[in-house]
Amino acid sequence: MRLTQGTFSFLPDLTDAQISSQIEYCLQRGWAVSVEHTEDPHPRNTYWEMYGNPMFDLKDAAGIMREVDECRRTFPNRYIKVNAFDSTRGIESLRLSFIVARPQEEPGFELLREEGPGREVRYSMRSYATRRPEGHRY
Amino acid sequence: MNSVLKHTDAFNLEAAFRDSHVADVLEQLESELVGLAPVKTRIRDICALLLVDTLRKQAGLSTEALSLHMSFTGNPGTGKTTVALRMAEILHRLGYVRKGHMVAVTRDDLVGQYIGHTAPKTREVLKRAMGGVLFIDEAYYLYRPENERDYGQEAIEILLQEMENHRDDLVVILAGYEDRMDRFFRSNPGMSSRIAHHIAFPDYTAAELLAIADLMLDQMQYSLSAEARTALEEYIERRQTMPHFANARSIRNALDRARLRQASRLFNRRDASLARNDLMTIEAADIRASRVFAETPPPGRQGELQP
Amino acid sequence: MKRIGNRTASDPAAERYRAGVLKYAQMGYWDSGYRPKDTDVLAMFRITPQEGVDANEAAAAVAGESSTATWTVVWTDRLTACDRYRAKAYKVEPVPGAPGQYFAYIAYDLDLFEPGSVANLTASIIGNVFGFKPLKALRLEDMRFPVAYVKTFAGPATGIIVERERLDKFGRPLLGATVKPKLGLSGKNYGRVVYEALQGGLDFTKDDENINSQPFMHWRDRFLNCMEAVNRAQAVSGEVKGHYLNVTAATMEDMYERAAFARDLGSVIVMIDLVIGYTAIQSMARWARKNDMILHLHRAGHGTYTRQKNHGVSFRVIAKWMRLAGVDHLHAGTIVGKLEGDPNTVQGFYNVLREPHNPVDLQRGIFFEQDWAGLGGIMPVASGGIHAGQMHQLLTYLGDDTVLQFGGGTIGHPMGISAGATANRVALEAMVLARNEGRDIWREGPAILSEAARHCTPLRAALDTWGEVTFDYASTDTPDFVPTPTAAA
Repeated sequence: MRLTQGTFSFLPDLTDAQISSQIEYCLQRGWAVSVEHTEDPHPRNTYWEMYGNPMFDLKDAAGIMREVDECRRTFPNRYIKVNAFDSTRGIESLRLSFIVARPQEEPGFELLREEGPGREVRYSMRSYATRRPEGHRY
Repeated sequence: MNSVLKHTDAFNLEAAFRDSHVADVLEQLESELVGLAPVKTRIRDICALLLVDTLRKQAGLSTEALSLHMSFTGNPGTGKTTVALRMAEILHRLGYVRKGHMVAVTRDDLVGQYIGHTAPKTREVLKRAMGGVLFIDEAYYLYRPENERDYGQEAIEILLQEMENHRDDLVVILAGYEDRMDRFFRSNPGMSSRIAHHIAFPDYTAAELLAIADLMLDQMQYSLSAEARTALEEYIERRQTMPHFANARSIRNALDRARLRQASRLFNRRDASLARNDLMTIEAADIRASRVFAETPPPGRQGELQP
Repeated sequence: MKRIGNRTASDPAAERYRAGVLKYAQMGYWDSGYRPKDTDVLAMFRITPQEGVDANEAAAAVAGESSTATWTVVWTDRLTACDRYRAKAYKVEPVPGAPGQYFAYIAYDLDLFEPGSVANLTASIIGNVFGFKPLKALRLEDMRFPVAYVKTFAGPATGIIVERERLDKFGRPLLGATVKPKLGLSGKNYGRVVYEALQGGLDFTKDDENINSQPFMHWRDRFLNCMEAVNRAQAVSGEVKGHYLNVTAATMEDMYERAAFARDLGSVIVMIDLVIGYTAIQSMARWARKNDMILHLHRAGHGTYTRQKNHGVSFRVIAKWMRLAGVDHLHAGTIVGKLEGDPNTVQGFYNVLREPHNPVDLQRGIFFEQDWAGLGGIMPVASGGIHAGQMHQLLTYLGDDTVLQFGGGTIGHPMGISAGATANRVALEAMVLARNEGRDIWREGPAILSEAARHCTPLRAALDTWGEVTFDYASTDTPDFVPTPTAAA
């Protein structure tokens, strides 16, 4: 399967030049940009691991691309995304979040059904990868 | 980007110069900085080099990646920071840095307090400077040979790596006193070899300092009475010989203190009515009350006391 | 203060309250010198007086009938602080380019309204006055609510920001589709459409306004099948997905029962129709906030009173009421689709729903400055006759915080529902990418779509099928103010 979280997951994987120009877009608007990675891509896994703090006051995408590169080298087989935070009153949240690296194989999710009374079903899903301990998943 | 032109094409340096709008920055430099003729010449030389390099690229001629890292040496208050700001603008207009901002730092911004602290700090600063100019004031403080475990060395190594491998991303300008910078470069040949342009900022002459004072007063909408002007000339001559003389910065401080004295002088006779001119004029007394006159013998007239 | 008692023939108060019929203006409902207080509720009506009726008197009548007045003088007024409770028409101006029509500005004291009740607000402002004989027609164009009053409402149950955080979807409009045909599908077949559309790339699918519990599909059956589809689609994509389960029903008890069932099945969103009424909407908003559910509102029925320019209630006012009432999604027009929608007017609706503060913007039909005092925003929904080929126009006109609903544009795709969904998602992502890269999507839109279609056959098919479809009819609900063209333009 292909995990389609993030703003551009239906497009072919972004090139570094494309990633860089999205980051430029964020910096021009004064958004802080951060890099995060995970081995647990469950859609409810809100907190991916931060690869450093969000970067404030940067003028140029090169500095963030450096972090993206480093993160990809450190975790060559994980999901990595770039986030942009907007501190404007009334927003104070993410404005853009897109995947910039993914594992070579994406095993996807198992849908678990717990049948209740009548035809009622309680659903949960779990990533096939998370059956293995952290650090050995992909 | 620029397409490669054929060898028969004409190359118009004047047009390239005009299109880059660098002239505006050079003009600004000329008008906002008094004197500094050798510095201004060097800046123009660098502009010429970059313009020709751009044309050579367009002509398909071999161009080695230019190293643009610089060192600005000179005493405090000689205009190093201002020139660095304009340099960032020039490099931007000529397409040698992408954004043209300047990040000014000192040792404390780069070097950490404990193991593992320095690298992220230095990287953080480098990231902020990318696309522009990193200005490191009193760069020699990064190097403290007397302390073997000083983290400054770590910052220097990261900087060196950056200056060597990512020339497109930022230009580093190291600044400080000339003698200490010389020592720093001697002990860090790696750093020295990566600096392409050494620019020395001379001290201002007394006449130049007076001109700077005029420029500053003009901006603040003050003026000197004739007597005050004489007093300031004398002040400058004395101040230059004293320790901690910081060129333009000392002039700025002297004028700030003179404004303060002018204000309390006016306040002390607040029942008298004031003309617009009174509010603008600095009198000799506002300058002569400085401790500079008390602490130094008058130049050329040794031993004579102040009234 | 005026003193009561000590009556003499010349006492103005005594004169004013002598039994009989007075003109509204004389009764004090017209006060050209009145300066609205920051705490007043303000309303602006478009009035069309009957022949021979003075515009100021007509405005005063509207002020009177929407506040304290009745057709005759009553002495019991004098037992109250009636000067304060009387609404005041304070400005009347002719409508540009529309002879016989006037804009009437009316101020209402805050004490006239129950805190936190849209029903009470609307009963006052539109309760009695629209059938009033001296007026040929009357339209409520805009309202301004003071911060003190706004603060008595909880606002959207979820709000745009929290909705995005909950769905983990940022930086682009959301995508949806209404299941078609809207009537007749069995629960199992209905869920198939939901599954195909969601796994193909949409974020949401939607019940239509009149899908409730009919003989061909009872509500529980629909909920069970839709949630199976939603959960399957989540598992194959790793994304949060939703289906707006319409819980509209005959009674509040039924609606609560249906909403609770949707919640128990793990739905992130439920849906209601505007026709359930303002009180029911506020109740559902409170329920949605308590249960961490997004509340989608379909504006079923609004066209009966919002569309005609001279009579009714402008949709921008409905939008403001719904922001107070607390829904999270509201259909607000597409500009380019099959339903009514002048670009400026629709952008005005969007601004009212989304912005923390609305400045006066006559060109977009916004007559009052409105501070929303921290109230969350509503995600506007663009639905009706839109397709992937219009993506550059939709993104330019409507921005990021909106749900683009491609019903026919998904389900009618020649390669199937899933391909239709993929075409829309790819078109959207490609357009956002290009916009962020600094490209001029308004002009380069078709080229950007063609480029994206090179790696996406379903998008190619969508563009070939609908590329040229437009709905180009003149709008009826258009702004009265247009910018003066400059010589350069």
